[in-house]
Parts: sequence; C-alpha cells; structure tokens
Amino acid sequence: MAARTIKIAPITRIEGHATIAIHLDDAGNVADSKVHFQSIRGFEKFVEGKPAEELPRIVNRICGICPWHHHLASNKAVDRCFGVTPTPAGHKLRELVQTIAQAEDKLLHFFFLAAADFVIGPDADYAVRNVIGIAKANPELATKVVQMRYKAKMILEKFAGKAIHPVAGVVGGFAKPLTEADRQWMLADMREILDFALFTIEFAKKDVFPKYLDAIQSLGVIKTGFIGTVDDNGALNLYDGKIRLMKPDGAFADFDVQNYADYIGEQVVPWSYGKFPYAKSWNEGFSLDLENPKGIYRANTLARINVADKMATPRAQAELEEFRSLFGRPAQATLLYHYARLIEEVYACEHAIELLKDPSITDTDVRAKVEPRAGRGVGCVEAPRGTLIHDYSTDDNGLVTRANLIVGTTHNLGPINMSVNQAARALIKDGVADEGILNKVEMAVRAYDP
Amino acid sequence: MCLAIPAKIMAIENDTATVDVDGMVRRADLTLVENARIGDYVIMHAGFAIDVMDERAGLESLALLREAFPVEHDDRPA
Repeated sequence: MAARTIKIAPITRIEGHATIAIHLDDAGNVADSKVHFQSIRGFEKFVEGKPAEELPRIVNRICGICPWHHHLASNKAVDRCFGVTPTPAGHKLRELVQTIAQAEDKLLHFFFLAAADFVIGPDADYAVRNVIGIAKANPELATKVVQMRYKAKMILEKFAGKAIHPVAGVVGGFAKPLTEADRQWMLADMREILDFALFTIEFAKKDVFPKYLDAIQSLGVIKTGFIGTVDDNGALNLYDGKIRLMKPDGAFADFDVQNYADYIGEQVVPWSYGKFPYAKSWNEGFSLDLENPKGIYRANTLARINVADKMATPRAQAELEEFRSLFGRPAQATLLYHYARLIEEVYACEHAIELLKDPSITDTDVRAKVEPRAGRGVGCVEAPRGTLIHDYSTDDNGLVTRANLIVGTTHNLGPINMSVNQAARALIKDGVADEGILNKVEMAVRAYDP
Repeated sequence: MCLAIPAKIMAIENDTATVDVDGMVRRADLTLVENARIGDYVIMHAGFAIDVMDERAGLESLALLREAFPVEHDDRPA
C-alpha cells in the first residue's frame, strides 16, 4: 500500500476554508495530520491609521459571524486607550446585548451545526446529516428551534439595531437608553428562551448524550489546560472580569487582561500562516505532541466551565454541579464542549433576565464623555468561540498605531490539530477511512465550533 | 477563520439558495432567515445563511473586506 493523503475539504459544517489533511504511511496508518484555517492577519495592518472609535463599527463587518462580541471587545479596547470608564447603565446595556447574543449563538450551534451528528448519527449519509434530516426526525423541535433563535435575534435587532452591523455600543458606553416598555417585552421574551434552554439541556441529557457516551469518552480526547473569564467571586462571566489560565492538573493563575502578553505567547509554525497562542507563563515552550503537549490550553465553552469555580445563577449552577459529579474538574473530553455549551446557554438566559430585572438598567445616563488621546488598551469579552482579545495603541489624535487581535478560535488551533490527530490515529487503520470515519474526525473539530 | 464574506443570492429553490461568494458558487440553507430574495446578500455560517442584507450593505461589506485583505490569505496547503 502506497503512502497517501486523505483530504476533508470543505469541512461540512465549518465556515471558511478549513481543511483537514491526514497523511497515511505505507501501511495505511496515520503518520501525521494537519488542520488548516483561513487566516485573518491582514486585518491588523488594515486598521492602522484609522480613528480608533471607528474600529468597533469596522470589525463587526469583517468578523460578522459573531459581530456583537467583536463590536464590544473593540469598544472596550478604545475606552481604555482614551481613558474612559463607561457609565453603569452603559456597562449593563453592553453586557445585556452581549449575553443575549451568546444565548442566540449557542442555540444555533447546538441544534444546527452540531446536533445533526447526534440526532441523525455520525454514520448517516451526508445528504441527511443536515437540518432537513433533523426536521424529518423531529419536526416539532426543528420548528421550535428556528422560532427561539429568531426571537433572540429579534430582541437584539429591535432594541439595538441589526446584529450583523451593531452600532449600539459606543466608546464610553451605549448609544441609547433602555425604555421601561422595552425592558418589559425583553423580559418576557428572555423568559421564554430560558424555558427552551432548560428543555434543551434536559432533552440532551436524556435523549442525546447517553447514546454517545463511548464517543464522548474517546473521540478527540486530549489533555490540555484551559482559559476563561471569571468575576471577583470566581464565577463564570461572559462580558467582564479577570482572565483565568488553568493548567491540565487544575492549578490556575488569574490576571488582568491588560497584561495578557505576559501569559499568552503566539507561536509561529512552519506549516501555517496563523499564529498559535500558547501559555507562555508556564515556561515549558510549545508542543502539539499528543503524549506530552507543552503550553497548550483550550478556550470556548468547556474551558469556561472548567476554569469557573461556580456559576452565578441558580439553574446553571445546578447543571454545573451535575456535570462535575459526572466528569470532574477540569473535564478533558472534547465532545463535552456540547454539554458545556448547554450549561452556558442556561446561564446566559438567566443572567440576561437578572440584568433586565435590575431597575437601574433603564437609567438614561448611558454614555460617558470621551476625548481621543494617545494610549494603549486591551478589550476582552468571552465570545462564543473563546476569549476574544482586541489590543490597540493610539496616537495623540486617537488614530490607531498598532493592533493585535486574538480571536476565540485561534486559542483552539493547536488543540483542534491535536484532537484531529488523536481521532484519526484511533479510527483509521490499514488505510480504511470511509465516510463514517471521516465524519467522526470532523465531529472532533465541530465540538470546538471553529 | 470566521470572516463574514457576503454571498449574493443567485437562485432560490425551496429553502436552499445558490449563492456567489466572491466568484465561488456555493449552496446556502435559508431555514434560519426570513424574506431572503434573489439579489440580496447573506452572511453564511457553516452552510446556513444566518443574516440577510440588501445589495447596498452587501457591497459595502465586500468593499471593506477587499480593502482589508487585498491578497487572498488562505492558509498554506497541506
């Protein structure tokens, strides 16, 4: 048998130009594998010389898959450059829209991008492994999912403008106050979405995950550290807080994101234009070796659940306790990203309701006065795909002199490569790699929602 | 990795659109969006249209993307 390369491209439900290349040796076993992603490096040069306050409006047109998160991380970075602290109401409104955007994204990912693997099954024909397959298997559920995701999207649009081009966040706060009438209908809508989130996690725990326990415990499993954001009490937070970087053994260090470069390095590898972030502060270098990885940590849902001591809302906390009783802390199995995603969905809905119940959120002082100036600022939020960092420097006129971005999926580039390598080695033997096997390899990638 | 390149709707059959993404013909599932029409632009994520915009907004975004990425920045081939 001659050595050959198997290519999976484009990956069925992953956007962009992601491709997997699996190299087989003469015996038909896996010698090596690589996952290649589109690179966004050009963006940082593009924004140099532009007025910083324009960046929150530019970035969401380019990174429009999660526009709200880029919009707000960018606003936070510019706040810091210009030395302004948003008003309390401005801060709360930003957190509210970001939390609702998280709730919307998780429903979309679980049901449309990931669940097909579970609901239809990984061995099913490609033609039915999509939403039409889901609708045939469970038409009532499919309709409900579309309705709920649309409801979340429309909350954002009706209150804060079109999600794809958000302009509601502004340097120093938020562009407009929340009226009492808006607060009331948004509360009612979020309560409905919370009910659906609770239904979803029960449905998944009862009807979905138990059938895939073997896969969960084996497919794409690697051992890494984790990164996420926590509040002063150590509870998971999606919008603001300190960054927690956890080692594979569970030991962790917390830091202010302004100092991220002391903790996170960016490694260049010869086979990719993308830079691979790694835990510089562990002082062990960078290696994707499956048996002995170095400096490798993961971001996104499972990472946030692992680094948090607790959840700040009651239903999500109950779910986290159940999850930890089954899988421990930190949980390493890659497919548990899906389970963690549903716990975060419950939290996002509960927390949006908490924010809306706070009467001070309708305060009309939504924006602090701000003057452009020279400075440096790092803005960070937890985007659906992981810790999102925008780092800008400005000159005296408030023009950008330098920008560095670390986007959620970038943290996971190394781990995704490791999970694919692990899955390919476990599944492909003697040159046999049928559709079912290749889809299982893709499943290992999809868990990260790249 | 998650660039939102607007895709122009060329044809629609049931819930599936044929779209043009900067010269490449792809298929987009329209289940998640309402009122998408031929000539509109959609933002795609993993085969699904997740947002619709009119031609003006679509062209604006495309112009911005072309300015930001003058050269195709695909990752190196395997």
